[in-house]
Amino acid sequence: MEEILEKLAYCVEFGKINLASPYPPDMRGQDGADELTKKALEMGVPPTEVLNKGLVIGMGKVGVKFRENKVFVPQVLMSAKAMSFGMAHLKPFFNDGSVVRKGKIIIGTVEGDLHDIGKNLVAMMVEGSGWEVIDLGTDVNAGKFVAAVQANPGAVVCLSALLTTTMVNMEKIGKAVKEAVPGTIVAIGGAPVNQDFSNKIGMDVYAPDPQGLIDYLGNLN
Amino acid sequence: MNSREILKKTLNHQQPERLVVDFGGTAVTGIHCLAVKNLRAYYGLEDRPVKVVEPFQMLGEVDEELLDAMGIDVIGAYGKNNMFGFANNECGWKPFTSNWGQQLLVPDDFLYLKEPDGSLLIFPGGDVKVAPSARMPGTGYFFDAVIRQQPIDEENLNPEDNLEEFISIDNDTLDYWERTVKQLSLAGKGIIASLGGTALGDIALVPGMNLKNPKGIRDVAEWYMSTVMRPDYIHSIFEQQTELAIKNYAKIFDRIGNQIDAVFICGTDFGTQDSTFCSPEQFNELYLPYYRRINDWMHQHTEWKSFKHSCGAVETFMPLFIEAGFDIINPVQINAKGMDPRHLKNTYGKDLVFWGGGVDTQKMLSFGTPAEVKKQVIENCEIFARDGGFVFNTVHNVQANVPADNLAAMMEAVKEFNGI
Repeated sequence: MEEILEKLAYCVEFGKINLASPYPPDMRGQDGADELTKKALEMGVPPTEVLNKGLVIGMGKVGVKFRENKVFVPQVLMSAKAMSFGMAHLKPFFNDGSVVRKGKIIIGTVEGDLHDIGKNLVAMMVEGSGWEVIDLGTDVNAGKFVAAVQANPGAVVCLSALLTTTMVNMEKIGKAVKEAVPGTIVAIGGAPVNQDFSNKIGMDVYAPDPQGLIDYLGNLN
Repeated sequence: MNSREILKKTLNHQQPERLVVDFGGTAVTGIHCLAVKNLRAYYGLEDRPVKVVEPFQMLGEVDEELLDAMGIDVIGAYGKNNMFGFANNECGWKPFTSNWGQQLLVPDDFLYLKEPDGSLLIFPGGDVKVAPSARMPGTGYFFDAVIRQQPIDEENLNPEDNLEEFISIDNDTLDYWERTVKQLSLAGKGIIASLGGTALGDIALVPGMNLKNPKGIRDVAEWYMSTVMRPDYIHSIFEQQTELAIKNYAKIFDRIGNQIDAVFICGTDFGTQDSTFCSPEQFNELYLPYYRRINDWMHQHTEWKSFKHSCGAVETFMPLFIEAGFDIINPVQINAKGMDPRHLKNTYGKDLVFWGGGVDTQKMLSFGTPAEVKKQVIENCEIFARDGGFVFNTVHNVQANVPADNLAAMMEAVKEFNGI
């Protein structure tokens, strides 16, 4: 059991998505995260362990390497894709409540902005740290964020923006969310924003990178 | 000395008589059409619909009046078609009212569909019968690609599918370049040309917004992953693309000679806000050999200078850009990690021309006060302009929300630095 979980974590860490995946080259023709997750569940490994001792471990390692500039965006995307293929097999267990995650975030790129590489990276890495992620996509207005928070009380709201023309929408959305559901934690991130801006518009958290948000969320539990 | 002569001295790292200025020369040194309108008002120019010269980012025309008012020295030679694949020069123009209420002029083939939420969908080649290739949010100020990725069959991936947009230049296009450059050269300004075909894996271009049915790797995330997962595939694209680009450049050079001063080679971003998109080793292996071939050909056969754009924290890549044969780096994102102006100038200023970096746009130009803008512009000019090698431009395009007072303060500072 330990062996297959270690292998699964390795696949996520190094982006071996599935059998067809050509990377890493020395694993060509071997199972990836997709097949190993399925096999682990079939072997009777508890789904919680598949998540926490397989997928989360692999994603955690790549997150640290990303922060330390040992790997870069492509490798993180590959790891995240591997993880998502594994996650797909766990979905029934999330739905029936047999696997409980650490909490929930609602994430989206703010109104007027279609950029999503950074937002997706954060979403995938947070999911890979054991949180449930509700991704509202791009160009998301205040109403959609408010509706999502009302449907998911207690979720942390994460706003992303790449542009100087759209970062200003974070204030409007953050305030609408806090007004509609008092006590909601709102985090912001994206290239043009920083701690000063976060303070100025009254947000709770500024995360300069995905790991920063994961660390913050980890301290909430 | 006219603007062109001063630009030439600047690009050759000789101390010019004054600082040269570019706004509008390329799609990465331009001005959003709303900011163009505001600038025209500031300079007391006629309030008329602004022409959109680059519709993807909704860049406005910096026409002769504005060139003169702002003291701009460089003009751009743009391709016949825009990024959506329809004519944006030598075309008819029609009125268009933007979502922010601005009266504009857009090319006749700027055909769009307005969604219930106000978003605009635009079509490749102006063909409304195919799927849209880009979308502008209802409250946005420019477009972004709609990803049209077909399912990937790992065993049957064919690099040719990612080469559809790279074609041997035809006589009509050569005639276009000859006419355009001849006309532009009458102005006595420096000329930077966007000849096309040399951008290696620029994610603004990978989705193929000009293609009606793009094949191959067209999803941005999948492309990034492919640089690691499928290096042979990417090498094959770059190899064929480079070979074709050099042949095309040779044909263009036969028609226009050295009437242009610089060529916008590639806009692939290698930097994030505080890091890079790949390791220096990967850059060396995957990109540098092709850049080197393009730049070597240019340096051996023309007097054109080679312009590389890369946003972000690329200080660690500067030696690699030099090794790859680039002469000019843009946009010089001075607020990214490690991109201190003094350090950049002292360390790389002998080898690289800094085209940009005049003022930070993420914070200062959009949100600073006019006095703060002026101070930063003067400081950066003093650092970068020493011994030539500096073309004044902001860090990337001037965005829609930049206050006109800040733009005015920026240009006043440049004039003050030039002793005007």
